[in-house]
Amino acid sequence: MSRLHYIRPETLAEALDHLDRHGSRNRILAGGTDLVVDLRNGDARPEFILDVSRLHELKGIDVTPEGVSVGAGVTLSEIQSSDVLERHAPALRKCSFTFASRQVRNVATIGGNVAHCSPCGDTVPPLVIHEARAVLASRRGLREVLVEDIASGPYACSLPPDELILRFILKPAADVTFADFQKIGRRRELVIARINAAAMARQEPDGRLSFFRFSLGSCTPTPHRMPEVESCLDGRVPTAELVWEAGRLLAERTIAITGRRPSTIYKEAAIHGLLVRMLHPLVTS
Amino acid sequence: MDASSVRIRFTLNGQPRSAEFPADTTALKLIRDVLKLKGTKEGCGIGECGACTVIVDGKAVNSCLMLAAQLDGRTVQTIEGLGSPEALHPLQEAFVKEHAVQCGFCTPGLLMSTKALLDINPAPTRAEISKAIAGNLCRCTGYRHIFASIEDAAHTRKEQT
Repeated sequence: MSRLHYIRPETLAEALDHLDRHGSRNRILAGGTDLVVDLRNGDARPEFILDVSRLHELKGIDVTPEGVSVGAGVTLSEIQSSDVLERHAPALRKCSFTFASRQVRNVATIGGNVAHCSPCGDTVPPLVIHEARAVLASRRGLREVLVEDIASGPYACSLPPDELILRFILKPAADVTFADFQKIGRRRELVIARINAAAMARQEPDGRLSFFRFSLGSCTPTPHRMPEVESCLDGRVPTAELVWEAGRLLAERTIAITGRRPSTIYKEAAIHGLLVRMLHPLVTS
Repeated sequence: MDASSVRIRFTLNGQPRSAEFPADTTALKLIRDVLKLKGTKEGCGIGECGACTVIVDGKAVNSCLMLAAQLDGRTVQTIEGLGSPEALHPLQEAFVKEHAVQCGFCTPGLLMSTKALLDINPAPTRAEISKAIAGNLCRCTGYRHIFASIEDAAHTRKEQT
């Protein structure tokens, strides 16, 4: 068996050179909270570990002309204490409060959470509602891809091994009046989501929703937007009946993707209820 | 797995240290098996129980989820740096006084999570304490005495300053 090497590049160029040469035999370490577990149980057997945690190109939360930029190496604790995100992406900030434990949040990064491609990654639904794009770097240059398209299945990352996620660009949500992240798990803290979801909306003074985005996580192989649910609510006044109908539609669409499983008896009602609870503040009688 | 060796320099409990170990060594393994500091415990080994909590650059982390190589240049504090058998840290005294220790396996991790909390928030609310120690499981005490100890330590500290 080949030897494991730990590499910590001083510069981004060094990191990209390494990925260009050894990408397929390499695993990227951002915080390590998933990778170290995978190394321990033998799910990851790389020849190289590239520690990108100290590259400044992966740091920082900024408002830019293209949108809100969140570095891939930003930790969940940094997300939790970010005023910029509270203003521009409150659902993303909210998800950090129930993300694992404080010890994990202090180290785990948003880039790692996205690249790990767990169906229940808590940062993914909040990124997806902002139509977030990942900025990817390699020796071949820069390109962008929708966060929604990064996972090709559970724990399957579609990005080529020579690419590194530098940052995420979140579409600014103009005049949004409502944003939320909700999660259902088996306990309150240190919990892996059974169901998670993010939504944001702009509600006009007459009660009508002039903008609505929704993403569901954990229930389908990859988290993504639910266009049927969005169009059910977009442009309409969210009465209790309409929100109930949207919840029913969400459960129906989810089951259409997953098929009926042993857990469906629980999840059908829970998904329905989660949306109803989440959108309750918008309900206009 | 065969691994090439990594050499790091860091500060451990106030002292500059250097260490050399195979690349796949976790921070926990470095602390316990290479440096022989046995106060930090391994419970689950996958970041769920918090028994391995240490403080790195002022932040509580799970040492089982970190490679030892990641500690290069960092400042690390383990339970051995908190107090000594002759002179307990006020937090340790509070844990003794309020009977927050039963089997003791979770105690070092809980003390490190609490230390990291009180260093940035000397007068936490019960909710803030709960959030800070949610990543530290205790299967003996039922947590009530632990909360009482932390509140007592915070209170004592406030009176002394």
